[in-house]
Amino acid sequence: MGIGTYLALASVLFGIGAAGFLARRNMLIQLMSIELMLNAVNVLLLAFNRAYPGNHDGQVFAFFVIAVAAAEAAVGLAILIAYYRIKKTLDTDDATLLKY
Amino acid sequence: MSALMGLSPLLLLVAAGLAIMLVDAFTSERSELALVTAASLFVGAALAGAMLAGGDIAPAPDVVTRYLAVDELGLFFDIVICVGAGLSALLAGGYLREHGFERGEFYVLIIFTAFGAMVLARAVDLLSIFLGLETMSLGAYALVAYRRTSARAVEGAVKYFLLGSFAAAILLFGSALLYGATGHTDLAGIREVVAAGEADATLTILALVMLIAGLAFKVGAVPFHMWVPDAYEGAATPVTTFMSVGVKAAAVAVLLRVLVGAFGDPVSMGLYTGWTPVIMLMAIVTMVYGNLAALAQTSVKRMLAYSSIAHAGYILVGLAAVHEAGSFAVSSVLYYIAAYTVSNVLAFGSLILMGSKGKEAVSYDDLAGAGRRHPMAAFPFVIGVLSLLGMPPTAGFFGKYYVFSAAVSAGGPMIWVAVIGVLASAVGAYYYLKVIVYLFMREPEEDQPIAVPMQSIYVTVALVLAGYYVLKMGITPSRYLDWAASAASSLIG
Repeated sequence: MGIGTYLALASVLFGIGAAGFLARRNMLIQLMSIELMLNAVNVLLLAFNRAYPGNHDGQVFAFFVIAVAAAEAAVGLAILIAYYRIKKTLDTDDATLLKY
Repeated sequence: MSALMGLSPLLLLVAAGLAIMLVDAFTSERSELALVTAASLFVGAALAGAMLAGGDIAPAPDVVTRYLAVDELGLFFDIVICVGAGLSALLAGGYLREHGFERGEFYVLIIFTAFGAMVLARAVDLLSIFLGLETMSLGAYALVAYRRTSARAVEGAVKYFLLGSFAAAILLFGSALLYGATGHTDLAGIREVVAAGEADATLTILALVMLIAGLAFKVGAVPFHMWVPDAYEGAATPVTTFMSVGVKAAAVAVLLRVLVGAFGDPVSMGLYTGWTPVIMLMAIVTMVYGNLAALAQTSVKRMLAYSSIAHAGYILVGLAAVHEAGSFAVSSVLYYIAAYTVSNVLAFGSLILMGSKGKEAVSYDDLAGAGRRHPMAAFPFVIGVLSLLGMPPTAGFFGKYYVFSAAVSAGGPMIWVAVIGVLASAVGAYYYLKVIVYLFMREPEEDQPIAVPMQSIYVTVALVLAGYYVLKMGITPSRYLDWAASAASSLIG
């Protein structure tokens, strides 16, 4: 398989993630969509690394992405829990306290 | 040891952050943590200032400089970020105690977020850009959510977190595409390949668009500004102060490093061939939108949030002028960000000063008549808003002056951008002067509680320091201009 296949796969994954983030109204599912986007980046990095076999920059980058995604999920879930405790819902349509 | 001297402000902050975390765990009394935090940040700024003024930076080993630049630009942003964070920590020392939610982790978060911002400002590799950005952002999300029982704070944090992570994912996808197009993750390597025209054009353009979108989000430029008013209003005011100065400064720094550093060749930067028109358009929309939206606000805190969007627009004017005005335009951006930092701390700090326990000053009505009852407390507010407005003899005046003269000297369509900028900042006069009108020429409504300024030595010290530098940079700007110029020349020869 050529690099184009992987590029297409990563783009589709990224697109599904972005569409999920924009279309869904549940914050937890939006967070999952973001994780999907980050994993699309990982696919892309690993695929491109095959085109530049001189070093492992892409693969090393992917490890950092995985680690940071975990940290991001930890902070994000903590914020979502704090939000749920107050509002008893995770629907973005109800987050209307601050506007304009 | 001396090999890492150039990174000493960063190393100092890591040590201070870990030490404060330990101290906080073993003591129940946290009264002096604000002072320790501010002192470590100011020492960091002083270290960077000494190296910048002395002009000799110890060269660091290649393994460091591949990821983190050890140069004048990095030191300049060390100073700006450390001063902004240090003053915010002092403000927090007064504010958190007055309103009764002081906890030790606040100061740790401020220090580590400032550290992330400094890493980001020095990042010269896509990997360190990503890591710096996330270190800074994760700290900032937590800081916004710090007052976790407040519905407004948590709602602001949720919006900031979700949109921020989305923007980071877009930036990351752009980074991966750029790696694919050039085979390099370091900005210097990317520049070589791009300047030689060997990079895949489609991938590079797509990557550049995604990088600009991700970074414009952090700067708070229209159309990536939706989170700014909500996060700024929801967060505790010292946090808002820090986000509007430290986080924004770091985002400007990395925007400079990516656009001028990696895409600084004449074609990628050109008026008709490169990123300049995108930034130019974004600058215009941001200035106009920020100023018009600020007009409509009833809350001073939210007005200052929209004004920080408008200021992001002025900064982008300077950035758009780089293609012709070169190093002068970069130094005007740097001077602007330094002037904006002290002015904004002064304005937000005065807003903090105007509230006391149980009655936080937020809206214009809260300020009614406070200036006549407490002229000493209102004085810094007047200087702060005049500087944000750009009145001489304050720092804000020279900031705007240099940015717009860079735009004029770039010529062509940039002259019209400067004209729009001047008109937009004239609109700003209305809402900045409205603060002064309410302070001195209105009386509070009958049934409204009357604002009483808080008494706090920390807040007073922060305001005196910020006020001193606002006036000093407005009366004798030459030293700070020299620093900005030497920082600019380390980026663009």
